[in-house]
Amino acid sequence: MYGWIWRHLPGNTWVRALCSLVLVLAVVFLLFQYVFPWAEPLLPFNDVTVDGGGS
Amino acid sequence: MSERDHGGAGQRGASATEPPPDPQPPARNRTGTRRRRISAAIGVFGELLITAGLVLALFVAYSLWWTNVLADRDSKRAGDRVRQSWLEDRSPGSLDTKDGIGFLHVPSMSKSDVLVMKGTDAEELNKGAAGYYTKPVKSAMPQDQSGNFSLAAHRDGHGAKFHKIDKIGKGDAIVFETKNTWFVYKVFSILPRTSKYNVDVLDPVPKESGKKEEGRYITLTTCTPVFTSTYRYVVWGELERTEDVDPERTPPKELR
Repeated sequence: MYGWIWRHLPGNTWVRALCSLVLVLAVVFLLFQYVFPWAEPLLPFNDVTVDGGGS
Repeated sequence: MSERDHGGAGQRGASATEPPPDPQPPARNRTGTRRRRISAAIGVFGELLITAGLVLALFVAYSLWWTNVLADRDSKRAGDRVRQSWLEDRSPGSLDTKDGIGFLHVPSMSKSDVLVMKGTDAEELNKGAAGYYTKPVKSAMPQDQSGNFSLAAHRDGHGAKFHKIDKIGKGDAIVFETKNTWFVYKVFSILPRTSKYNVDVLDPVPKESGKKEEGRYITLTTCTPVFTSTYRYVVWGELERTEDVDPERTPPKELR
């Protein structure tokens, strides 16, 4: 999978490394900005109130 | 490439005009291809597992660090707005409580103050504030003549304002600061572990704390043990006295 991505990136090794870094940062950004805030309320780690259902 | 040439060369003599039929790869190579496919599939599977591990590690970093960064920024901003509106001293009726109604000081838990907002939904608590309950049992206000001022805040992440709630002991002070008054409470009972369905702890007279009569109480709730939400931790306090805020906002002696 990662090998496939690497082979399909353009340019020489340095350009590919830079592209990979940008891709990794983009994925981390998407996770922190959209995926984790969406997933967090669905997981039972942060319910602090007593209300029967948790919020 | 070389395999194909090799196979083609053997057929060429039989029929020169027709193009040679696609040669069957030898049996040894077929198993080799299959083996390579299987190992490639295992490789992809392994990479997916590594990816899943990295995503989970990132989620931990998000929960325990990044949400704190965001929440501390939000609560500082909202807290500054509250203090600013107190300073500007608009007419009493126009007091804006959207950003918060005051600040909670618990010296035995934390050196910094905790902004208190209305409501205990994620919308308020994730801003790094404590919220007073509007449901399932409506909280009283500190200035009410009797009732239970009940609060919740995060134990971990999103500011983690009640992270060290287990450091609060009986007899410790809880001070709530509003625009004009310091409300000084004293802790008289602690429930280190209770069910999340136990909404009775928010009652105007919380029986489990040992109190039988109406009074001016404060209740802090959060989740326990740390990093999970299996149970709830409850701390009860009773109003000891109130102090008027002087022009210098001198804190009561408990905070000095």
